[in-house]
Amino acid sequence: MKSVGASLPKYDGIGHVTGTTVYVDDVPTPNGTLWAKALRSPAHRANIKRIDYTKAAALPGVHAIVTHEDIPVNTYGHLSGLGVPADEPLLAESELRYLGQPIALVVAESEAIAAEAVAAITLELEELEPLFDIRKAWDPGAPQIHQWGNWYTQFEGGLDRRQIRKGDVDAAFDRADLIVEGVYRPQAIEHVPMETQVCLVVPEPSGKLVIHSCTQAMYFSMGVVAAHLQLPLNKLKFVGGTVGGGFGGKVDTATETLCAVAARKARRPVKWRWTREEEFLVSSTRAPWHVEIADAVSKDGWILGRKMLTLHDSGAYARFSPYGLTKHSFHHTGAYTIPNLRFDGYVVFSNRVPTTAMRGFGVTSVSYSTEIHLQRIAHELKIDPYEIRLKNANRIGDTTGNGVVITDPSTVSTIQMVAEAAGDELKGDYRTMTSAMRTGDLLPEHLVGQLGNPEDH
Amino acid sequence: MTRHTGRGLSAIEYPTGMNQNGDPSQAWVKLKPDGRVDVFAGTVDIGQGSKTVHTQIVADTLGVPFDWVTMDVSNTDSSAVCTGTFASRGTFIGGNAVRFAAARAKERILAIAGDMLEIDPADLEIEDGEVRAIGAPQKKLSVSDVAGAATWQYGELITGTGAALKPFATLDPQTGRVELPPHSAISYAACVAEVEVDDQTGNVRCTKLIQCYDVGRAINPALVEGQIEGGAMQGLGLGLLEECYPYYPSTEHRGSDFNSYHVPSLVDLPEVTSLIIENPSADGPFGAKAIGEMANNAQPCAIANAIYDAIGVWVTEAPATPERVLRALERKAAGEDGPRRDGKRVVFDGHLSVNAVAAPGAAIRFPLED
Repeated sequence: MKSVGASLPKYDGIGHVTGTTVYVDDVPTPNGTLWAKALRSPAHRANIKRIDYTKAAALPGVHAIVTHEDIPVNTYGHLSGLGVPADEPLLAESELRYLGQPIALVVAESEAIAAEAVAAITLELEELEPLFDIRKAWDPGAPQIHQWGNWYTQFEGGLDRRQIRKGDVDAAFDRADLIVEGVYRPQAIEHVPMETQVCLVVPEPSGKLVIHSCTQAMYFSMGVVAAHLQLPLNKLKFVGGTVGGGFGGKVDTATETLCAVAARKARRPVKWRWTREEEFLVSSTRAPWHVEIADAVSKDGWILGRKMLTLHDSGAYARFSPYGLTKHSFHHTGAYTIPNLRFDGYVVFSNRVPTTAMRGFGVTSVSYSTEIHLQRIAHELKIDPYEIRLKNANRIGDTTGNGVVITDPSTVSTIQMVAEAAGDELKGDYRTMTSAMRTGDLLPEHLVGQLGNPEDH
Repeated sequence: MTRHTGRGLSAIEYPTGMNQNGDPSQAWVKLKPDGRVDVFAGTVDIGQGSKTVHTQIVADTLGVPFDWVTMDVSNTDSSAVCTGTFASRGTFIGGNAVRFAAARAKERILAIAGDMLEIDPADLEIEDGEVRAIGAPQKKLSVSDVAGAATWQYGELITGTGAALKPFATLDPQTGRVELPPHSAISYAACVAEVEVDDQTGNVRCTKLIQCYDVGRAINPALVEGQIEGGAMQGLGLGLLEECYPYYPSTEHRGSDFNSYHVPSLVDLPEVTSLIIENPSADGPFGAKAIGEMANNAQPCAIANAIYDAIGVWVTEAPATPERVLRALERKAAGEDGPRRDGKRVVFDGHLSVNAVAAPGAAIRFPLED
């Protein structure tokens, strides 16, 4: 019997539905396990003037208070491996850039004692004006979030933005019968995993740390911990592989590193689990995006050219945002072929919780923006929404904005399938159309030059 | 109060694997003395069922029954590198890693079986847990017997390792142009959404979703449908319900629990039709492409388009909450909702643009000039 193609039952489904799957919070804690709670920034943006841990440290049952001074490498970026400079301290040093930013981690014999100790820490701040509207990041006199400014400046080639340039966009706009412009703003959402961020770090007698983790990426997170702690990989063992919902939010290594530092400092197992409130308020979110599009179109429904400006609200730190914006730029024409392009995108910082990967990272915002925009164009031109999509659809041999030849597109067939299922009858040519290379009416002059050879890829 | 119905369309695409590649997954396979198969990989199952899918890939690559194969993704000591479960890479890249590992183990099974049967391994195949001579299926051995012989007579542990990695695609920073494909494959989808809009409360209900996804090859169709339906629910959250900052860019009224932040629940479930197209990729396992992430991308835009069809207003900030819908209807009633027309330019949403919001002296403008 062949397995591939069969709807075999989910391997671990019975465990999930009967409540017997062991998630990280279900792992029995060894004797002597300590519990962690974080001191978090009470301000959106502030300088730390003074912190006094004396009273907290003196509370019975408190074993250690971890600060940035305990971390061998406090600032290490999630994309350091790709050359993105690190900007986010694991624990704040002198500047606070978002509400809820961790400043210290207290480990104690119970969560209640740890919380009591956090409340006993004296924190004096100088509050600063925060920046939230990324459209105002360039304003003269805008609050400066980082020393280098309010947007990411380290794209390849020393550029402060991600660019796509293709064809002759100005000529396309000159030629256009109509130029349709619009603004699209999909908002931040929470990942809302059923399992909040949690980990348990158990030091072995050899000094090796066993890290029970809910990460979506064990090796990636292990690399992050190793970099912060300056440990070789044989001193770390991640145990996991079973996640109670991630959706991208558990690619952030949210708890493992600090818990590992605390376990080494206290020489005891340490467990840290976030409350639902922490999960909602301080875990990273999907980014809010600001997308502006101007499309040059012909009256018979061809998209001749596109200008696009994207502002990607990264929150206080970069995390994965430069990657997300690049992916966004690579896909900014959606499922269609547009030969003349001028795309500019910025990763913009704000004093909100850092944003991160979430299901559809970088492209969810493209789909939202470009598909509403295309509908507006169809409406302006009085063209059927199926037909304008089928006409401009990616076909074999078309090239993307960044020069990739398309080999196996299904824009045409997926649209035909939903039209049929919806009971919408497509007109003759559109009903029988395939994704074969462009010829005849489907190869107007403006699409000739962009054709590539699908055999090359 | 009037309820208006509308229908909206969207078509999308989504890449498989990390953008620009360079993201390895590795795996290894070993046989127990009775031929049962252990697969070790670092590929976390985030609930989507990747362990099941990988088990199916290994079973068919080796030619053994599905229930002979056990996946272990429990730790980094016994498992090899996997960059992670994100970027819709699990089935394609993780799946190729276990496929390559299984293929190597199969070579050893065939080599030992060939020696036992005195037949060239090239003339052998494995099906249903049996090694058979091609064209002479009566000459056969069970994989169990081969694994036993490997253990007790040949002194060999049958293993295989596999690694999937596509090279990093560098880009030209000026143009974004790449010389290598920056992804493993592209998946496609289309969606028709039907909505019902209450023009007094502003409430939008999605009543029907018809969706079609090209996943290359559905290794496990039930799990693909699970992705389509689960993703659709997340898409409803994006399109209609969820936002961390309801008055963005203000940070006020942030939801901190399930009473103040609403995710879709079963009452929001529309009638769902899930259609699958199999247009195979060139080098994915059994032709597979990805489905994971794109499954929540097609609904928010289709819903926004359906809202226009229903009540004639564009809501271009997601989610389309009752407040946003009512404000859009107010603008329409006041004659302020239409685009500004200037020659051949049709300018929607002018009040949201950086041109309207940034200070006069700011360096950000749309469109930017080179």
